[in-house]
Amino acid sequence: MEPTARLVVAGFPLALDRLYQAETHMWVLPTGPGRVRIGMDPVGLETSGSLAELSLDPVGTELHAGRPFGQLEAAKFVGPLLSPVSGAVVETNEEVVADASLAVRDPYGAGWLIGASLGDADAELSGLLADPTEITTWFAARIARYRHEGVIAQ
Amino acid sequence: MAEPLRVIDFGSRPPLRSQTLWHAVGYGVSAGAPATLSFVRPAVPYVCIGFHRPLDEVDPDFCRAEGLPVLRRMVGGGPVYLDSGQLLFQICLPAASVPAVRPKALRQLLEPAVAAFRAVGVRAVLDEDSEICLGDAKICGHGAGQIGDAVVVCGNLIERFDHARATRVLAMTDPAQRDQTLALMRRFVAATPVDPVSFRAAMVAAYAARLGLTARLGELDDVEHAALTSLDEQFVSNNWLAGPGRPGPQAGPGPVARQVKVRARIWTLSATHEGAQVAATVVRGTVLAARLHDPGLNGLAVRAEQALVGIPLRSVGDVLAGFGDPGRRLAAAFATAEPERS
Repeated sequence: MEPTARLVVAGFPLALDRLYQAETHMWVLPTGPGRVRIGMDPVGLETSGSLAELSLDPVGTELHAGRPFGQLEAAKFVGPLLSPVSGAVVETNEEVVADASLAVRDPYGAGWLIGASLGDADAELSGLLADPTEITTWFAARIARYRHEGVIAQ
Repeated sequence: MAEPLRVIDFGSRPPLRSQTLWHAVGYGVSAGAPATLSFVRPAVPYVCIGFHRPLDEVDPDFCRAEGLPVLRRMVGGGPVYLDSGQLLFQICLPAASVPAVRPKALRQLLEPAVAAFRAVGVRAVLDEDSEICLGDAKICGHGAGQIGDAVVVCGNLIERFDHARATRVLAMTDPAQRDQTLALMRRFVAATPVDPVSFRAAMVAAYAARLGLTARLGELDDVEHAALTSLDEQFVSNNWLAGPGRPGPQAGPGPVARQVKVRARIWTLSATHEGAQVAATVVRGTVLAARLHDPGLNGLAVRAEQALVGIPLRSVGDVLAGFGDPGRRLAAAFATAEPERS
């Protein structure tokens, strides 16, 4: 995949250089052997409400797919950030903890959340959306659904 | 037969238990207990701070002197003063049964509370910021969060409200900001002194109807009793009280600011920059009042303050540009405001 491949789909930027967990809107960017960075895509952030605060589990914490690696607070609602993979936290983005709006301003770049090491990278990544066409279709369908439900603006 | 809505009235409880009891319900519902509507009244006053908020938003000296415990909850929002004039309520459901989109879930779970207020004669509305209001005033604080695999939304019936104490517990070093915050509290936070027994009955009816459940009185189960024991320890530990929040403002050569939200889009700001000092009240993006100090203003402070009243926050810099270097320093202090956080 082209490292800078970006699209705008129905008004939302979409990076095609990474993988996605469909339900949680988390992206996973391989950064080296057995290493990834994890963040949230702009549609996931938009549907969370007005983002106020983030907290992240510290380096060394074990990650379990589908379980929290931190908390996100929007509109006084504190909810879990669910990990798309299992492994361990190897870095946290302290800039986004200090200023959660960074995740909204630059969701695919400076707004990353954690870095992780994966025990079996192939297995961990195999359940994620990886094909650009599949990702684009999923992303467009999600936006259409949320707009239909009135969750995000037309 | 519809599924049950467990109803638990914990009665009047000490500060710690007025929080840990309903948090324990969260773990119970997460483990399979039925959806639960609970009520609790603080027996004595205390301060409760939202999950992420820095502890330094609370005035520790005042709380210590007044014997006010400070507790951190697992749901969101800012520091609040709670006392026996408030009936706290919590609706707790399995996370899978509420919309995954949080703003939508929050509105759905607050709407029955609005119906309950209206059933007891309070013409409450749920405004666009998902705050329960009567006219311009917020009448119910709320917060929400996910505890395990359960979602809890909590709020309060404010029968009596001590605006002065609710303001005084907040850390503010600038007396002008404190005065402005108290004025906003008095204008934009209101008590609704209805009969709490009638309100509780209306709440039960409204939530049961909305959720399609049958209300039944209940009590904590074994999982929840175990969770309660653990939560009682956790909530008084220094680690928990310190919280996971972002670092507070750092002292240094740049502007130093303190922003206090009274309700959505209504807040005060105190900020300093190179000797200039600002205290301002901002209501829905417009400056309502300002107190300015800069040694270089040479008696023009009142004129500058008057010039700012009614001005959109985004235009403050333009107005202050007419006051030379002091105006630029004051504008820099104003620029510390983070409207999106309010």
